[in-house]
Amino acid sequence: MSQSKTNIENIPAGAPWEKTGNTSWTQCPSCKGWFHVGPGILNRPDVKLHCPTCSADFSQSDAARIIKAG
Amino acid sequence: MPNARTARRIGVGSSSRRGTILDLRSYLAAEKASVFRPAQALSTVHEITALQYALEKQGRHPIVVVEKPTLANGTTSDIPVVCNLTASRALVAGALGINDHRSAAPIYAKKTGNPIAPKVVSAKDAPVQEIVLEGDKADLTLLPALKQHMFDPGAYLTAAHATTYDPDTGVDNTAIQRCWVKSKSRMSYYPYPASHNNRNMRKFWAKGQDCPVVFWIGHHPAVLMGTQAKLGYPESHWSACGGLIGEPLRVVPSRTFGDKIMVPADAEIVIEGYALKDQLEADGPFGEYTGYSGPQVAAPVIQVTCITMRKNALYHDYGSGLTDMLVPDNMAMEGKVYSLVKAVAPSLVNVHVPAQGRRFHAYLQFAKPGPGEVRDGLTAALAYRRLKMVIAVDDDIDLFDDSEMMFALATRVQWSRDSFAIDGLSGSLLDPSTPAGSKTLSKMAIDATFPLPPFAGAPSPVPPRSKVPEAAFTSATKALAGIDMSEWPTL
Repeated sequence: MSQSKTNIENIPAGAPWEKTGNTSWTQCPSCKGWFHVGPGILNRPDVKLHCPTCSADFSQSDAARIIKAG
Repeated sequence: MPNARTARRIGVGSSSRRGTILDLRSYLAAEKASVFRPAQALSTVHEITALQYALEKQGRHPIVVVEKPTLANGTTSDIPVVCNLTASRALVAGALGINDHRSAAPIYAKKTGNPIAPKVVSAKDAPVQEIVLEGDKADLTLLPALKQHMFDPGAYLTAAHATTYDPDTGVDNTAIQRCWVKSKSRMSYYPYPASHNNRNMRKFWAKGQDCPVVFWIGHHPAVLMGTQAKLGYPESHWSACGGLIGEPLRVVPSRTFGDKIMVPADAEIVIEGYALKDQLEADGPFGEYTGYSGPQVAAPVIQVTCITMRKNALYHDYGSGLTDMLVPDNMAMEGKVYSLVKAVAPSLVNVHVPAQGRRFHAYLQFAKPGPGEVRDGLTAALAYRRLKMVIAVDDDIDLFDDSEMMFALATRVQWSRDSFAIDGLSGSLLDPSTPAGSKTLSKMAIDATFPLPPFAGAPSPVPPRSKVPEAAFTSATKALAGIDMSEWPTL
């Protein structure tokens, strides 16, 4: 996986006939739980992400990891 | 006919209903034989939704009323939760005064296509304003909102009908759009980007203003079905509701916005507020109609100004992704697809949008189609944004019976000849199979009809279906009557 930022990993695109999925995932910096996020919110770094497991609010730059589809 | 149901006396269009009020509580009273009231305590956190899943697994779809739901903080709410209200096609059709749910598509299309303007009543004649909570008394956390699924971050209003208006024309729009209750007076609200409410909100924001919005909860299923009408922009859902119920819908000016935004006078609960200009917060993940958990999104924020409700209010919840939510929307889709296809293919006789296909599949039924009509109809249906796969069958196939549909696919299709795909059409990006980053979908149409007869009156050039004489079948069915078959092997 290529890294455009230390905590963001992009899932590489495959051939057109290969399934690669369409869902991006974020890992909470507090509880380390994973939850899925849409492209719209990832395009808005000013909007804090919210962990549905521990209710932590955090900026994308503070996420433990972001695995980005597409 | 199997699954047919006699229309209820309360049913829309029934002369016996004239002069009576159409609301949720009168409907529940009329349908009491179809209502399940669990005796045990059930929590708003997962447990009520889990009951809906358990019922669905059993193939049963009663309306569920939880009289004293347990809230997330362990206290008991005095506001009952009503769910599974629209999980049965037969019940929904009955609420519309339709005897057989399988004939809903043309009737829905016709009625919503003949709008009737609403009737404005005064606040004293509006039960929904019997109790008015303003300022600090307006507390969203008093409502028994459900946390339905794992991954949902909190309690959501799932049957909140969001009404906004176009600031240019003043025309109202209503849609069911989820709200995550975040505090006493604040919630996130997700009008998906292609929705008319989103368009209205953006217009207000472009003018530098917060967007007025009201959310109303709980009404007769016929009114709920009216708000599912798939309209152009801007067109009033109040008028579509009126067309469907056959009389003007009773509405009352909202407390905060007056006659700029009306609310149904006979709803159970109304929340009024503003979508704050340009303010977005995280919303979700949320269990969606697809049967998957939709991703977290950036959603507008509502600042609540007022809550009104009836005395002894009922709280309505839609089980997201369950038949409870799929049935009413799919039946409304059937009306829309019927209108679209009928315009280009007059031999269309019926449409089914099956809950098993979420909102992605539609079955079209034709009777003696002319040359090209089936493919014309399939293409028109594919253009409808929500659909992804459309199958056409003849009128000897029961399009509400999947075994019949599979029979048609197995015996009437040569795939390279009878199927075609179109890429780049609009659709739901919540579909987990869409490629990452795509904005459009790949869609499929299948012509599972038989070939046309060579000339009028001639038999179709295909073999006849095997069958036994009707009298023999009736006699055999009688021979099985009263026999306990519960221990016999199934397929």
